[in-house]
Formats: sequence, structure tokens, C-alpha cells
Amino acid sequence: MMLGTPLNERPARLDLLQLLAVLGLMVGGAAFVYSATMVHEPVGFWQQYHELPLPQFFGWLLPQMFFRQIVWYVLGGAAAVVLAVVHYQSLVRWALVAYWASILTLVAVLIPFIGATRFGARRWIDLGFFQFQPSEFAKLAFILAMAHFASRPAGELKSPRVFWKAMGLLALPFVLIMKEPDLGSALVLVPTGVVMLFVAGTPRRYLLRLGGAVGLLGLLLLADIFFARPDAWYSVKLEPYQRRRLLVYFGQEDRPPAGASPAKILELRKQHFDDQHNVRQAMISVGSGGLLGKGWRQGTQNALGYLPRAVAHNDFIFSVIAEEKGFVGSVIVVTLYAVVLFTGIRTAGQARDRLGKLLAVGVVTLLFSQVFINIGMNIRMMPVTGVPLPLLSYGGSSVLCSLIAIGLLQNIHIHRKGY
Amino acid sequence: MLIFDQLKKSDPSLRLLATGVFGGLAVLLIGLWWVQVVRARFYEAKLETQSCRTVRVPAPRGKILDRNGTPLAENQPSYHLSLYLEEFSPAFQRAFNTRIAACKKAGLKLKRDQRSELARATRYAVVSNVVAAVTGEFQSAVTLDPEKFRRHYETHLALPLTVVPNLTRAQIARVEEHPDLPAGLAVDTQAGRVYPFGPTAVHLLGYVRRDDSSAEGEEAFFNHRLPDWRGIIGIEAAFDPQLRGEAGAKSVLVNHLGYRQSENVLTPVAPGQNLVLTIDLTIQQAAERALQCYGPNTRGAVVVMDPKRGDLLALASSPVFDPNNFVKGISHAQWEQLSDEKLRPQINRALQENYAPGSVFKTLVGLAALEAGLNPSEIHNVQADPVRAGRGCIYIGRRKIEDTAPPGAYDFRRALKLSSNSYFINAGLRTGMAGIIQLGARLHLGERTGLLPRGQETPGIFPKPARLRSGWSDGDTANACIGQGEISVTPVQMAIMTAAIANGGKVLWPRLVDRLEPLAGTGQPPTTFPAGRVRDDLGVKPRSLEIVRAAMLADVEDADGTGRAAQVPGFRVCGKTGTAQIMDARNQVTDHTTWFTSFAPYENPRYVVVVMVESGSSGGGTCAPIAREIYLALQKREQSARANPAPLAQN
Repeated sequence: MMLGTPLNERPARLDLLQLLAVLGLMVGGAAFVYSATMVHEPVGFWQQYHELPLPQFFGWLLPQMFFRQIVWYVLGGAAAVVLAVVHYQSLVRWALVAYWASILTLVAVLIPFIGATRFGARRWIDLGFFQFQPSEFAKLAFILAMAHFASRPAGELKSPRVFWKAMGLLALPFVLIMKEPDLGSALVLVPTGVVMLFVAGTPRRYLLRLGGAVGLLGLLLLADIFFARPDAWYSVKLEPYQRRRLLVYFGQEDRPPAGASPAKILELRKQHFDDQHNVRQAMISVGSGGLLGKGWRQGTQNALGYLPRAVAHNDFIFSVIAEEKGFVGSVIVVTLYAVVLFTGIRTAGQARDRLGKLLAVGVVTLLFSQVFINIGMNIRMMPVTGVPLPLLSYGGSSVLCSLIAIGLLQNIHIHRKGY
Repeated sequence: MLIFDQLKKSDPSLRLLATGVFGGLAVLLIGLWWVQVVRARFYEAKLETQSCRTVRVPAPRGKILDRNGTPLAENQPSYHLSLYLEEFSPAFQRAFNTRIAACKKAGLKLKRDQRSELARATRYAVVSNVVAAVTGEFQSAVTLDPEKFRRHYETHLALPLTVVPNLTRAQIARVEEHPDLPAGLAVDTQAGRVYPFGPTAVHLLGYVRRDDSSAEGEEAFFNHRLPDWRGIIGIEAAFDPQLRGEAGAKSVLVNHLGYRQSENVLTPVAPGQNLVLTIDLTIQQAAERALQCYGPNTRGAVVVMDPKRGDLLALASSPVFDPNNFVKGISHAQWEQLSDEKLRPQINRALQENYAPGSVFKTLVGLAALEAGLNPSEIHNVQADPVRAGRGCIYIGRRKIEDTAPPGAYDFRRALKLSSNSYFINAGLRTGMAGIIQLGARLHLGERTGLLPRGQETPGIFPKPARLRSGWSDGDTANACIGQGEISVTPVQMAIMTAAIANGGKVLWPRLVDRLEPLAGTGQPPTTFPAGRVRDDLGVKPRSLEIVRAAMLADVEDADGTGRAAQVPGFRVCGKTGTAQIMDARNQVTDHTTWFTSFAPYENPRYVVVVMVESGSSGGGTCAPIAREIYLALQKREQSARANPAPLAQN
């Protein structure tokens, strides 16, 4: 799969293979955002292009999601170029600034006046032209800060104080993102941080203990969801929809409170059915795609509105791809991600220093976590959370951050050992 | 993997990370393979159930035509104003948004169920405004029933909703010319069954009822069914599968709100076949009119048959009813009328009832006697009835059987034309019951003719030879000789008997359906039912038949014949009258069944006409004039056929 570079040759400056895969993902992203959003439009791109005078054509084009996505690819690509050129060691000097800036935006977004609410979650800061999503940038800033923090001499990591500091570094954005609430984005920080610490050389016992504690907490949380009354004093204050999503994931129904009226029970049943709706429709989309799929723009799940329009082009873009391109398309998507991830790991292995290695590992883990959670929720392997599929899902913040992350990987690759 | 090779052996943590990533992606791929390849069928089926609605589309029903091609039952489109709700979906959304905005402005926060209630009310408001605007100029105001609309929206959203059924021509014009007819409002057509001649031949045609269920062997599951008809009785029921054709299916693609998006024909319909009867509409109408001559509620039947081919030219039963009412839906009052116990309009009296044949049975007794060696010129003296002056009688043992004919000397001819009970009882007793039963068996009395399905035809009653060995007396034979006692027949059976006498002894299968014609353009040949199929042979000497025929001619032509009222100038009618007594449990005469069986012309019999009237005064007085009317119509038909010879396309 990987093209090894013969040792006696001057290695390429850029990781072209990775860039090719990224390009593939971007082409797919533009094509399927087009497919997911344009089915509801009466006229397609080419017809508009041929029939409208140029100014009007641009007037039509500008608000189209696929076009905006392409614009974000271009902007993100430019940002990636900038970030790939400046040596990452100089970049990391700004790590703590970036980290605290992101913490600031995460706090800001929680303030009702600043943060915009959509679907009951306060995740965006409306900049007029751009719905800025601080949690996306917080992920990147966290990787920078964590890499900066953990790249200290391995011996220091043995001290519990340092470990607790690292935990604090993780916990701050985690809690703030949880508060929005955005469970998925918060959760991807955990594997990213843990893997970075692990690769940095944190003693196993700390990490095992951490893993044990997280596992225990998770179990307690689930037990609470399944068995405790939602209004009990000891119950965890999750958002109702988060609670229900988790119930749906584990195939459970919300238990009606004791002595509930039949109408109430019926209402809960309906609620459960509605909660399942997205997952069920995503499963139907993916499954009915079959081996070869129905063809680009031929999927019915999205066209007929079964797959909710609000999510088809972002969180559930994979359903659209899987329905229209089938298992073959899914394999291609997973393969493209595999190329990006494994070239990223290779970059980590070839990194000039611990900082570069940790940065690469952080980016790879973050991307992998998002890919795994997002694709997994389309086939009900993971609960539904608002985690975008990097580079494929529609969304400015996500695309920008994913490309910046790729830029970082390229940066480390360019400044790798032996070059 | 190459990546592994490139990772330093001393970097186990990266190797572990790579393994983890590889494992995670593999798990995803396995999951995807499971969902997209192994379980693809399952999800395809789920997709189909949620987004496809199958609709049963009935085939156009075949017509029923008379022998000349005049339709007796056909399809007539009816026009309905229908709403295609999917077209209103954006309007619903707009109106709903306005209302929600108004609520927000007023500071109202709606709960989930309040919102859906508001949405429902909004939809109704939008649609009823449109309906009111379009139907505003109709004479009677049209209001959309909110409950009906809600039900349709919830259960039949993929189908159009009928707002105004059965539009008049003026209304159609109003709708079509409406200046801004909304896209979702249209005039729909539906096929209805119509019987253009109303009650004419109703018993034989039968009628249909609304029935959308699947026929046997047809796809049974549909989300929706379009209106279809099923034959309940008569030809409509007997040939229902052929007339109905094969229903097709279409699938309607619906979106997540249930609105129709597109349609797709799954199985095309196979139209029903047209059915051509042997019935001649003019004769059928003449027969029905003739029956009405006796009174508006005449309970009777007429059979007109071709004695050579077995074709039934008319099969009338009275009283009649209008089959169109069944298509529209029967009202309670109409049903009461149809269920009248005395009139019993639903009974097909030509086939469905047992009647004592009375004196018309004497033709068969006479034939049996002639075959057994009765000399037709031999004189039999009938004794006078001591009680009733001028009437004859006969004693069987100590029982006296009265006669309506006068006492005196009778030969065969005089006996038949005056319908002498004494003569035929005497002749029958000399012949023996076995001979009569043998002849009756060859006529297949006591058996169905198979014209219509089992429930719609009675076999009648006729003793089997074995019956003679279990306490059969001369009294029973005497009763049988005058068509009473253990013998019951239908008018159609009597027509077959008369036809056998007229055509030289051939017992024919009667024929009602000439052919089934597939729709033009299908290239399939029509299914024909052969004419003149012989069921049996009387096996009697031609001379015997000739003697009977001559006597029947005398019955009509002689001035003292009982059937003289059936005389038609220029058409030599041969007939036999009958007046059967109906006894109650105490052997008291309560009623009469009157008969006239006949054929014409004498020289070359072309028609058999059998008339039966319940509660008539006498065969000669009640039925013979009815037969005369029918012969006049037949004569007229022949004249007009000669005047403008038809291209003889049909027969």
C-alpha cells in the first residue's frame, strides 16, 4: 500500500501520497455535498450555467452549499500551505496562546449573547459570513498545547504532578465543550490526549489508571441512564436528548415514570421512535446502497427527505455516499482515510523530534477518532453524536481545521529527519 | 505492512497506534460489509416499505352485449373533483410558518402536540379555501368535511382525495375554465358500471357491487386499492373473471411526509373481455313488455329460444328491478322493495324456481303414449262429472279427478287442444309411468341446464325410475300425467322440451353466451361457445312428433283450442296451454301457475316461446296473449331483417 522511499534517493519534500488521498476526499466531499443538497433544487449546476447570464449565475452559485464547501477547501488549502511552510517548532511557540484563545472562545460561545443556538446546542459564534465553531479549533489548539507540554524530556513525565497538569490541559476544553453541549467533540479529545501521552512515554500505570477511571465513570453513567430516575438527586445531568441518544444506541427505551398515564407512555414510545429516526434512516440508506450503490444523485433516502435534510450534508454525509456508491464507495472512502492516517503515522515515525512525533500522533488520533465515530454512527456501531466526517462533511470550521491538521502533518513530513 | 517496516523497531508505541488504527478501520469495514452486503436485502425491503405504496389498479370491465352488439352493460366514466395533496405541501408549509410566526409574536410557546394540531388545522384551512374558491360557483355549496380530510391525510395521503363526486357537465366546465385553478386540483375520472336499459334483462345480466378486494391468485397485499366492481349475480357473476380482466398494480413513491412523488406501473392491467349474449334486445324488451300487459307486478317468466341452435333470444323474469341502483348503492327503502316476500323481484323465475308444469306436460305424456302404441285416432269417451254440469271427470280407484274439458268422445288431437285430463290420464295409465319417466330423463328433467352457476338455477323435480318401486300408485301416475304431483320444472326446461318436439327430437343445451371477445388490438381470438350442442335425443318416432305438433297447431288455430289467443296472422303458432293447481297442506287449491309453451312457424319451427305466469287465470287466458305479443315482435324482427338484410356479421 505504501510507497516506501528508497533510502539512497533524495526523499520528496511533500508527502504526495497523503495529498492525493486528501484531494480524493475533497473531490468526494464536493460531489456528495452537491448530491445531498442539490436534490431539493429544481435545476442543476450545468443547466444554471447554460441558462443564466454570468452575474446571475454567480448570484445563484454563491449560497449553494457545494460551492461554499469548495470555497472552504480553497481557504483551508491556503491555510494548510501557510502552516506547512513555517517550521512547526516556530508554530508551537504559539501553542499556549492558541490554547487559551480557544478556551476563551469556548467560554464566549456559552454566553447567550455571543453563542448562536441551533438544534438546542450552543456551538456556534455567528460572524455573519461564517458560523464559527470554536470546538473545532479547540481540538487543534489542544493538540498543539498537548504536544508542546508532553514533548518535555520523558523523565519528567514520570512525575504525577506533570501527569495531573496534562489531565488539566485535557479537562478544561473537555468540560467547556461538554457544556455546549457537544458530547462527540468533547469525547474525541480523550483518545487524542491519551494517545499523545502514551506515545510521549507517560508511564503505563498512569494511563491504565486513567483508563480504568474513565471506564468506571462511563459504566456509572450508563447505569445511571438505564436504572436511575432522571429526576433523582444523584443522576447525572445530561441533556435529555443525549440521554435518549444513548438509550437508543443501547437499544433501550426510556422507562416511563411510575404511574405514568397511557398517554404519557405512548408519548414516550413515539419519542423513542423519533429519536431512532436518524439512525434508522441512516442504516436504511447505507444498507439499501448494497454493493454498488444507486449512483450519484440517485439515492432516494435523501431526495425523499427520509434522511433529514438538516444532517444529510454534514453529520450524515457518509449515508449519502454509501447509498449512492454502495459498499464499493464505502471501501474507497475508508481506504482514502487509511492512506491519510498511515502516512500520518509514518510521518510521526520519521519526525525530527518528539514534538513533531507527538503533533503527528495527535492529528492522526483526532482524525481517526472522528472517522471512527462518524462512520460508526451511520451503521449503529457508535451512538449518534455531532462529530463531522473530516473533509467530507459540509462545514467551514471542520473543513478548515481538518486541512490545517493536514498542513501540520505535511509540515512535520517536510522537516523530517534526514532532510 | 510497509508502514510497519518503516517504523523503527524501537518505537513500539507507534506500532501499537498503527495497529489500533488498522483494527478500527477493519472493524468499520466489517460493519459496512455486514450492513451493505450481507443485510442489503433487509434494508432494501425497509426502504421499500417506507417509501413505496402499492396501489391496486382495476382493469376496465368487459361489456355485455346483445347478439347485435347493443351494450346491455358497459362502463361509464364518472367525474370527480380531486385534490392531489402533494401539490399543496409547500402551501401548507408557508401557511404553517406564518401561523407559527404569529404565535411567536404573541409570545405563545407551542408544545409538540399543539404544533401538530396547528399544522392539521392549517392544512385543512388551506385546502378548504381552495375548494371553496373553485366550487364557489357551483349551485350547492361544497364544504370539505374536516374529519374526512384528516382521515384521508393520515391513511391515504398517496392517493388523491375526492372532494366532489359525480360532477355534472356544467360543473366540469366551471372547474376546467376556472381562471386560476390550483395545481393540486383536478377532475378525475372513474369507471362506473352502467346498465343503459335499466331493468331490462336484469335477472340474466345480474349486477355488480363495489368490491376492491383481490381476486383469487392475485397479489393480495396492497397499500391502497382503487374502486373495482365484482359481479354478484347473473352473467356478471358467472363470467366475472373474464369480464373483470386482471387488475394491475402501480407503486407510488412517497416522501418522508407521505406525499406522492412519482408513480411507476408494476403490472399493467389486462382489460376484461367483452361478452356477447345470444339475447336479442328487441325480443327481450318485447317479452318484458308483454309480461307487463298482464299487470304491473306480474310474477312470471318468458323464454324465447331458437329450437335449432338452442340460442336463447330472450330470458325474461318479472317483476324487475334496476341494477344501476346496486352500483350507486341501495337505499333502505329500495332494499325493502327488493325483499318483498310475495313479489320477490330478485328471483329469476325462468331458472330459479320450481313450478308444476300442469297441462303443458301432456305433450310429453302424449309422446310417451304414442310411442307405447296409442292410436291417435282411437276414441276415448270421457264421462260427465255428476257435480259440475258440462265438465268431464275420471275416477282413479275411488278418487275423482276433475276435468275442465267437457265430457264426450276424444281423439288425440281433440284431447290435446281441449286439454282433456281424462284422456291423458287414461293414456298415461295405459302407457305406464316408466315410459314417461324414460322420456323425461332424456329431456334431463330434474337436472340443471348449466346456463348460470349452481345457486342461480334449480334442477327442478322429476322422479327417477327407482321411485316407481317405492310405493308409486296409479294416483301418482294420474297426477304426473296432468303435470301435477311430484314434478316440477323451470320455464327453460319447458322451452327445451318444446324445442325438442319442434326440431325433431333433439334435446339441446340452451345457449346464453355466444362468445367472449378480447379487446381489439390484443390479437387474441375470441372464445366462442358452439351453438346447437345436442345433449340427448328423445328417441321417438318422427310420426309421433308430427302427431303432437299437429295437435299443438290445432290448439292455437282451431276455434275451440285453448291456445287460440296466441294466433298470429301469417305465422302458424303451435302451442299448449297449462294451468297447474297449487295446493296447500290440506289439499285445497290456493293458486294457479299458468303456462303456454309454443313454437312457430309450424312448417319450419324457428322460435320456441314459453310463457309462465304465477297466479294467472288460465294458460290460454293469461299466457297465450303474452306469447302472441312476442310472436308479433319476432315477426316484425324477421320483416325488418328482410327489409334491410344485416351484414350477418354476428350470426
